[in-house]
Amino acid sequence: MKKKGLSLITALSILSAFLWLAGLAWVIQDQFFSAGSQSMDTVKPDRDQTPSIPSDGKSKKLHIAALGDSLTRGTGDPDGKGYIGYLKQELAKKTKKEIELSNSAIKGQTSKQLLDQVSQQQIKRQIKGADIILLTIGGNDLFRGGQGLQQLNSQAINQTEEAYLNNLKELYNEIRSLNKTGTIYHVGLYNPFSDMEDSKKTSSIVRKWNYDSANAAAAFPNIIYVPTFDLFELHVNEYLFSDHFHPNKEGYQLIGERTASLIHFSEEEKK
Amino acid sequence: MTKLVHNELLKLFRKKRLFVIILIVAALVPLFTYAQYQQAKTTQEKLGNADWRTKLQQEIVDTQNRLSSSRLQDDWRKYLKIRLAQQQYYLDHDINPQAPGAPTFMRVFVENSITLLLPLLVMVAAADLVSSEASGGTIKLLLTRPVKRWKILLSKYIALLLSVSFIVTAVAFLSYTISGVVFGYGGWDMPLLTGFSTKGEELLTDNVHLIPQWQYVLMEFGLVWFVCLVVGTLTFMLSVLLRSTAAVMGIMLAALIAGAILSNMVSSWESAKYLFMVNLALTDYISGMATPIEGMTLGFSLSVLLAWAAGGLIIAFAVFTKRDVY
Repeated sequence: MKKKGLSLITALSILSAFLWLAGLAWVIQDQFFSAGSQSMDTVKPDRDQTPSIPSDGKSKKLHIAALGDSLTRGTGDPDGKGYIGYLKQELAKKTKKEIELSNSAIKGQTSKQLLDQVSQQQIKRQIKGADIILLTIGGNDLFRGGQGLQQLNSQAINQTEEAYLNNLKELYNEIRSLNKTGTIYHVGLYNPFSDMEDSKKTSSIVRKWNYDSANAAAAFPNIIYVPTFDLFELHVNEYLFSDHFHPNKEGYQLIGERTASLIHFSEEEKK
Repeated sequence: MTKLVHNELLKLFRKKRLFVIILIVAALVPLFTYAQYQQAKTTQEKLGNADWRTKLQQEIVDTQNRLSSSRLQDDWRKYLKIRLAQQQYYLDHDINPQAPGAPTFMRVFVENSITLLLPLLVMVAAADLVSSEASGGTIKLLLTRPVKRWKILLSKYIALLLSVSFIVTAVAFLSYTISGVVFGYGGWDMPLLTGFSTKGEELLTDNVHLIPQWQYVLMEFGLVWFVCLVVGTLTFMLSVLLRSTAAVMGIMLAALIAGAILSNMVSSWESAKYLFMVNLALTDYISGMATPIEGMTLGFSLSVLLAWAAGGLIIAFAVFTKRDVY
C-alpha cells in the first residue's frame, strides 16, 4: 500500500514537473517572442453588450451619479461622507426606493479635467443611467487651491471665468445629450475667505461667478443651480475644515440638507 | 540511479513533511477564500451594485484621489499611476480582471504567495535534506556505499525537484477545488491582458495582448515553479554547508523575509536588484505591476535567479564531494 502510494506520488511529481516546465516555457515564448504579434487592435470587445443601467422611472432604485471635485468627494469631513453622504441620508428618510450612488469626483479637479473625465466610457454610462446628477465644479478653477484670489487681478480672473464658463456649457451639453431626463443639481460656490481682508472683493468675485454659472444652467432644461454662498456667509469659520477652504462636517451637512430639500418624490415613491 | 532517487523520495515521504505542507495549504486556502468572498460582499453592499464596471470605475476614481494627495511617496505614486493606467485599460476594453471564479482565485493566490508563502513551504521541505543526515550521523552509512558521492547528492537533488513540483501541483489543485466551492469552477476561458511593460511612471501598452485565463494561470504556475526551484536549490546548498537544520531554516527565513521588506524600499539602491530575494515576484511581470527597482525586466529577473541557483548548485556539489565526513 505504502509502496503504491509512493510510486503514484512520484509519477504525479514527474508529470507536474513537465507541466510547470511547459508553463515556464510558455511564459518565455509569450513574453519575449510573440509579444506584439497580436496587437490589441485585433481584439474587439463587445461594447454593445455592455448592459446599461435601467433608468426607467418605475425602477425600484434611485440612481445618483456624483461628479466634480473635492467637495463632492468629501474632503474635510472626518467621516469622509461629504455633502453626498448627508444628502443620501436625508433622501433615505424620504423615499422607500433603494439609493444607488456612484461618486466619481476627484480632488482638485478643474472644469477642464472634468470635461475630459466625462468623455470616459464608464462615466458616460453612469450619467446615462442616473436619475439624479450631482455636480460641484469651478472651485479649483477659481481658487487654484487657495492662491487664486491672492492676486486680485480682475483681468486674469475674468479670463479664467470665461474659460470656465465655456467648459461648463460644454459639460452641461454633454451631460444633457447623454441623459435627457435626469435632474442635474449643480452645487454652487461659497467664499471661504469671507472673513479675511479683501472679503468684499473676493465675495463679489464669487457672487459674479455664481451668477454667471446659474445663468448658464438656466439655458438648459432641468439644471438646478444650488446656492451655498449664503450658508457660509456669516459663520464661515464654524463651517470650514482646518485647511480653511473645504467645509467641515457641519458645513457638508448644510449643503447636503439644502440639496436634499430640493429633491421631490411622487406619492408612491414616498415612505 | 533511479533506485537512489527512489530511496531519497521514500525518506522524504516517511518524514511526513510533504503531508504537513499540504495540510498547511489546505488550511490556508479556505481562509483566503473566505476573506475574498467577504471583500466582494462588502464592496457590493457599499456600492449597492453588483456590476463590476461600476466597481472598477470606483477603484479608478479612488486611485485618482489618492494620487492628488501631495504627501505621497514617489515610488508609491509610480505604482499607483501604473495601476491606474492598467485599470483604465481593462475598463476601456471591457474586460473584468476580477471576474469571480476558482481560476481567478488561483491566479490571485499565487500572485500573492510567490514571494513568501510558497518559498517558505519549499524551504521547509528542502532544509533538512542533507543536514539531517549530517546531524543524525546517517550520512556515514550513506557514503560508505559503493556509489560516487555526486550521485548521492544528485539523487537528493532530483528528489527535491520532484517534491517541489508536487508541492506546486498540490497548491494548484487545492486552491482550485476549495475556492471553487464558493466561487464556482468556471472561468477558464476568460480573456486577460498581458504584456504590459513599465517605463518610469508610464505604462507601455504596445505589446499588450489577450490570452485566455487558463494559459495565464499555467504561465504563472510555471513561474511559481521556477521560483520554488531556485529557493529550493539555495536551501539545498545551505543544507549541504550546515549541519544544523535549524540554522538552514533560519538563514533562508531571514533572506526571504528580508526580500519582502527590501522590495518595498530599495527603489533607490540600484545594485539590490542582483539579490535573489528581490527578484522573486516574477508574476508581476505578467500582470504588469511596477517593479521594485527601475529597469528590472522578466528576462533580468529570470537570469539573476538562474545564476543564483547555478551558483548554489556548484557550491553544493563542490563542497559535498570534497568534504571530510567524520
